[in-house]
Amino acid sequence: MDREAQRRLDEVRKGRTELENNAIDELIAGRVSRREFIRFATVLGFSMPALGVVLEACSTSSTPTTSGNIKKGGRLNVGHQTPAGAMDPILTNDLGRLTILGQCGEYLAWSDSNLHLRPVLATSWTPNSDGTEWTFKIRQNVKYNDGSGPMTVDDVVATFKRLADPTVTGNNALSNFKGVLSPTGVSKVDNQTVKFTLDAANGNFPYLVSSDNYNAIILPASYNGGWDQTFIGTGPFKLKAGGYVVNDHVSLDRNPTYWDPNNQPYLDGLDFKFYDSEPSAILAFQAGSLDVYTQFSVANGQGLLTDPNTTVIDIPTSAHRQVHLRVDQPPFNDKLVRQAMALAIDRPTIITGLWNGKAQLANDHPLFKMYPSSDTSIAQRAQDITKAKSLMAQAGKASGVDVTLYTEKVQEIPALAALLVSAGGQIGIRITLNLTDSGTYYDRYWLNSPMGITDYGHRGVPNTFLSAPLLSTGTWNAAHFANPTYDGYYADYVKAVDLSAQKAVSGKIEQLLLDETPMLIPYNYDFLTAVKKKVSGLETSGMGHMNFRLAGITS
Amino acid sequence: MSAVISFPRLETAASARRQAWTERLRLALRTPSLLVGAAVVLFWILCAIFAAKIAPYDPLQPDILHKLLPPSAAHRFGTDGLGRDVLSRVIFGSRGILVAAPLATLLGTVGGTAIGLVAGYFRGLVEEVLMRITDAFLALPTIVTALLVLAAVGGSTTTVILVIGLGFAPIIARTVRAAVLSEAQLEYVEAAKLRQERAPYVMFVEILPNVMGPVLVEFTVRLGYAVFAIATLSFLGFGIPPPAPDWGLTIAEQYTYLIANLWWPVLFPALAIASVVIAVNLFADGLSQVLER
Repeated sequence: MDREAQRRLDEVRKGRTELENNAIDELIAGRVSRREFIRFATVLGFSMPALGVVLEACSTSSTPTTSGNIKKGGRLNVGHQTPAGAMDPILTNDLGRLTILGQCGEYLAWSDSNLHLRPVLATSWTPNSDGTEWTFKIRQNVKYNDGSGPMTVDDVVATFKRLADPTVTGNNALSNFKGVLSPTGVSKVDNQTVKFTLDAANGNFPYLVSSDNYNAIILPASYNGGWDQTFIGTGPFKLKAGGYVVNDHVSLDRNPTYWDPNNQPYLDGLDFKFYDSEPSAILAFQAGSLDVYTQFSVANGQGLLTDPNTTVIDIPTSAHRQVHLRVDQPPFNDKLVRQAMALAIDRPTIITGLWNGKAQLANDHPLFKMYPSSDTSIAQRAQDITKAKSLMAQAGKASGVDVTLYTEKVQEIPALAALLVSAGGQIGIRITLNLTDSGTYYDRYWLNSPMGITDYGHRGVPNTFLSAPLLSTGTWNAAHFANPTYDGYYADYVKAVDLSAQKAVSGKIEQLLLDETPMLIPYNYDFLTAVKKKVSGLETSGMGHMNFRLAGITS
Repeated sequence: MSAVISFPRLETAASARRQAWTERLRLALRTPSLLVGAAVVLFWILCAIFAAKIAPYDPLQPDILHKLLPPSAAHRFGTDGLGRDVLSRVIFGSRGILVAAPLATLLGTVGGTAIGLVAGYFRGLVEEVLMRITDAFLALPTIVTALLVLAAVGGSTTTVILVIGLGFAPIIARTVRAAVLSEAQLEYVEAAKLRQERAPYVMFVEILPNVMGPVLVEFTVRLGYAVFAIATLSFLGFGIPPPAPDWGLTIAEQYTYLIANLWWPVLFPALAIASVVIAVNLFADGLSQVLER
């Protein structure tokens, strides 16, 4: 590091908390990678210039940006999953709706495809020393897409009080805020500042108010429902008059009052067309009726992957298929049988064969390698049929066991189920399949089946994956896993604010889950979006957001 | 005296019946549609019985690294999306449909024949009630009714057989009733009544053998519909669960590959269904020609 770089780094250090300086020390010492540092620094609220100074001082290059030759104007036809219910920010829990929310609404921060946070409606944020309080500076002079405004701190406070309110029926944001934030914990400090006082320390809190928590678009304090009539928000697009037909399409126009003068949308508008069937949407895309098609599966999208007129945006995500093994019922009430099932699976072959390599190995726990807080030194579980048979014999089940696997007929899940049948068959676990539609699976079988495959969407931090399906009190605990040691580790993980403390707890969690094996997670799959060659500048996220603000048609 | 007269009459009737069937058999052997249909159906029956010996691979064993291979010497019909041998799955897939379709048709034929006999024989209020109920069921499309029932009680092979069979019963009942109405006017029925034979005896021993022609034709016609209906229900996900090599289910699982011009996982099971349906229809057509002469 040269003297000028050192001087600039020292300048940056002066304005930083002990926690932030500790992160810089970790980077200089080589204990965290550049990628891990960037991601962690954005959580702590480092501004981009400060981040650039630190990275430059540590002789690393910043991420290059690209720009296409995009012309002004035009509209794009976007093929998209049909929204699963009423278009309402607080009720949204599916890709069909969250993508639309993100066109008209905005978040305090944007969680990008590298899990880095970018300021949007917040300009900066900082934690206190133990991560129990987070203070956000709110952007000024932001107007709503109906021309009203400006957006105020009161709007932000009202939005988060509503999202943290357990009395609101169907409040999907509680999957993030339950036990983290209560309505009384949101307060206005001054006309530019909001303070979140948390129920318990949380080192990853900024993700919960970012686009990762897709319910959290900022709405006016006076908002009282009926979002599907107004599509109100501060985003770059607004609802075209008469442009929303339920289950059919949404047409959006450019928001002429968009707050960012340097990043006005290129496009005149977007026309989202909803599809219930993926093959129908792919056919429409191939026929030229669509310019963009969001999240397609490798199984159905073979033709798109090889089409020379199509660009495929491929983003690794933490989205995964979770195979729960119910621990309080035969045959998986014996952990030896659960471990045997896990050892029967050939994960690399599944990734190659089922996903054409567009997925990453996972290790039967949700602390995926992509998270900087994960302990990557824990060995990857690999197929070992001999050991699996031996475990079955040890469990007194050498003659085999019978079990029914319940799941939904979505994308590659039926194929994965068939592969699990084959894997189990090798060691005497005879699996019968019960495949249903998604509604039936989630209503009837998900939390009440001996074995099931559930689709989990992307999260920028693993907190939800570690709590809802695994805590004794978890609301999505399909495995009925109740382990006080695990619950304690989880509490330690959540309150750990610095990266090394998080990693230390992560290792314990990973080892415990590998030993107990309440769930199998064979892979994380990539988020694939098909885009016609003429379209440029589209930014997608693992969560399923599509940022069309800088997208357009190339000249 | 009457006994002396009746014995030669009975002998003559039995002999005439034997002669008629011999004549029909001769006609059948000269009816190409019947022969072709029978040959194709027999081919699939043999495939179903000897599947384990004929099929080159285990139809359920995935080989995901060799998925979607086009037809070749190693895999005559190629491999599907999980790398399973399509030829083996088509051969084994014949088992499900060749058990379920005849059973469903048999159930419908037995039920429908019983209803038709009772309605045609008793007439009056019994006929009115039975036929109005039958009309009500006929107003509902079989597939739609089957979907509603299967959605309510859950799909399984047994449920599919019951639903299709019960769906066919009203159709067969109408045909049988029409045949019974004309038979019931004939002298041998009047004679049986005069002998004070019980109604079930008259219906099932006297009348039934004389309406077997239409019943057989209706059975074969319905068999073709049953194959198609069961394949359709499997395609819609209401039949045998995966990973069974059922033809309809296979098409449902693999049809999305058509978008990428990967036609073989879908074409061969589709051809298999088509061949059985066409063969059964040809057989029904031929049988109808033979029985009408």
